[in-house]
Amino acid sequence: MEASLERKYNFDVVRWFTVMAVVYLVVGAAVGVYIAAELAWPALNLDSPYLSFGRLRPLHTNAVIFAFGGCTLMATAFYTVQRTCGARLWSDKMAWFTFWGWNLVIVLAVITLPLGLTQSKEYAELEWPVDILIAVVWLSFTINFVMTIANRKSSHIYVSNWFFLGMMIMIVYLHVVNSLAIPVGLFKSYSIFSGVQDAMIQWWWGHNAVGFYLTAGFLGIMYYFVPKQAGRPIYSYRLSVIHFWALMFGYVWLGAHHLQYTALPDWTGSLGAAVSIAMIIPSWGGAVNGMMTLSGAWDRLRTDYVLRFLIIALAFYAMSTFEGPVMSLKTVNALSHYTDWTIGHVHSGALGWVAGISIGAIYHLMTRLYHTEMYSVRLINFHFWTATIGTVIYIVAMWVSGIMQGLMWRAYDEYGTLAYTFVESVDAMHPYYAMRTVGGAIFLLGAIVMLFNILMTVRKSLSEGSLSKARALPAAA
Amino acid sequence: MNSLGDYFQTDWQAMTTNDWIGTILTVVIFLLMVGAYFYVFRPKNREKLEAMKHIPFDEDNENTGDPHGRK
Repeated sequence: MEASLERKYNFDVVRWFTVMAVVYLVVGAAVGVYIAAELAWPALNLDSPYLSFGRLRPLHTNAVIFAFGGCTLMATAFYTVQRTCGARLWSDKMAWFTFWGWNLVIVLAVITLPLGLTQSKEYAELEWPVDILIAVVWLSFTINFVMTIANRKSSHIYVSNWFFLGMMIMIVYLHVVNSLAIPVGLFKSYSIFSGVQDAMIQWWWGHNAVGFYLTAGFLGIMYYFVPKQAGRPIYSYRLSVIHFWALMFGYVWLGAHHLQYTALPDWTGSLGAAVSIAMIIPSWGGAVNGMMTLSGAWDRLRTDYVLRFLIIALAFYAMSTFEGPVMSLKTVNALSHYTDWTIGHVHSGALGWVAGISIGAIYHLMTRLYHTEMYSVRLINFHFWTATIGTVIYIVAMWVSGIMQGLMWRAYDEYGTLAYTFVESVDAMHPYYAMRTVGGAIFLLGAIVMLFNILMTVRKSLSEGSLSKARALPAAA
Repeated sequence: MNSLGDYFQTDWQAMTTNDWIGTILTVVIFLLMVGAYFYVFRPKNREKLEAMKHIPFDEDNENTGDPHGRK
């Protein structure tokens, strides 16, 4: 079926984004495992500033969020908008500009971050020239997507496109405002915000990057790829509409819950926590909607490993969208904030939800883009188990470590003095940091196996000539 | 703070333009969300909205004739 669509649509750029996403998954996860090991065994920084945790940590987050996540979002958005609108991408040239521009941003991140060139804003570390490039490339992605929708053959815009569109518009707004800075040189700038306003803008961006980029964008993936892989339509379209609007209206309020017990006015944190709790309803509605799509076909999970990735990702989505609001409550936050519990929470969302749904979508795409079966289904199965087990080991280690940290930091003796020194809490973390490294390494092993499987599938397609045969077919109507 | 009345007490005279813009936007968004719930869950709109769930399979159906778009 997809073969006859080769001429109708632009799948070339989708193929490149798809393969590069997997390359960046391996790179980002490898840097993550290395810095996790540095925390357990600090000598691993080799006394080099370029390899220190402080410089490599933003490289890890940028690689997994913007390189892997970004390429996945761009591949899936460009694929689904064409398939659901029945229209070719508005501009092939602009799509290639997006591809090369985004990869240039990634290369610049790889160069500048280890050199210590940073704005020091979390998840927005890149300096101002790169920020401008990001805005231009992201706008090209957005405009191409919007214009493709404008050229659609169907009257209705399918819900996955709504989620992608919501992400694109909000990220333009968030990125531009959060990155407003006064340059004092080519590689140095200062934010135009200061003090508590800077903190509020930082977390308005930070949490909305989670809400609109890592949630809405990947829900766009979920609403197309879960039904397609399951071979049945989404359980409730009406629920998906409510899911979308509740997410759009609700998420922008949450940022302040990152700043409980700070100089921020108390009511802003309370408001952030209250709306966070309210967001459990649409989030769980969406997760149930995705899972119930399998209603009557649960047996597919026994044999379809790609579907397993997609459904387990929804389970992690449900879990982390419950855990996050609970952690935003002031009582829980008093224990959890600044501890490894937050890291565990982030990774249950990042590894379980974002990576899981992405990996499932990429495996789904590979067979359709290269017009051949996967090189090895057994390796997909192996990847599923390494990804799941690695993620669980990681987040369990961080839960135990984080709660222990929180309890040690606030333990008092009968004289009202702290029961533990800070360094004692650091020492107590060592076994869990080692355990986290092991969990991450298992996840990384699965990612490497995936990359091998993907590259072998490309090679198989080339040797079979299935892609060139598909390109030679007349265009579908 | 002894009562709910104290908790919700507002000094209206101290409200700035920004406060009013924020307050009005909040109420408007809340009403829009209520409107969205009403529109989506109105029984009359059920069939129309649920029909859209088949869009990802439309292209497959055109070529295979399978009404469920399964392959």
